[in-house]
Amino acid sequence: MSKAKESAVDLAKFVDKGVRVKLAGGREVQGILKGYDQLLNLVLDEAVEYLRDPEDPLSVTDETRTLGLLVCRGTAVMLVAPSTGMEEIANPFLGAKAEGEAAGGDDDS
Amino acid sequence: MLPLSLLKTAQRHAVLVELKNGETYNGYLQQCDTWMNLHLSEVICTSKDGQRFFKMAEAYVRGNTIKYISVPEEVIDKVQEENLRRDEKRPARGRGRGGRGWAMGGGRGDGGQGEGGRGEGGRGGGRGDGGRGGRGGGRAGGRGRG
Repeated sequence: MSKAKESAVDLAKFVDKGVRVKLAGGREVQGILKGYDQLLNLVLDEAVEYLRDPEDPLSVTDETRTLGLLVCRGTAVMLVAPSTGMEEIANPFLGAKAEGEAAGGDDDS
Repeated sequence: MLPLSLLKTAQRHAVLVELKNGETYNGYLQQCDTWMNLHLSEVICTSKDGQRFFKMAEAYVRGNTIKYISVPEEVIDKVQEENLRRDEKRPARGRGRGGRGWAMGGGRGDGGQGEGGRGEGGRGGGRGDGGRGGRGGGRAGGRGRG
């Protein structure tokens, strides 16, 4: 039976590339992916943490601190994304507001 | 309809994912797995307060951080279609399953024997109950020791 548990996550293509990792609790780290396993434990090189404003811990700032070589525990990893092509943009849902209030609605069209 | 089969059907559709931390991710669902880990492409991340937006080419989201996933309405029709298709095949499958049933029984029996084997090692008593008794035998052995 094809019950073999296949993960949707394939980090092979990110090896030796910059990745942005969001961790449970709100920290965000960016680094070069050097290794990983099926539990989503990650090895990041030249890692930097994007610090948060103590007043407003909801969102990260551009302030960083260097962490160097890092092992991220898989259970704490919430999100892995390539750091290239990641940018802050203006509200993309405003133009499509007429189509629906829900943010999901306009993507569906 | 199972949640994960709906999600599987929603692959290649635009979805909205809200994480437990309140961030939402809009993007095309490329892949999902049995842990609800998602692979999204052309992602727009909205911060918890809904004030900041980030674009990313793709993102992997760990399943256990997800609060909910909003899928397009039309996906539900496709699920039903797929279920119908499965139902049509069902008679043949039923027979197949009967055959497989034996195979599975054998498999389980093997597992049981493995456990039973451990029990035997501990007690030194050979209990040849057969596959089905494997687990029970192991448990009984434990009780006996206690």
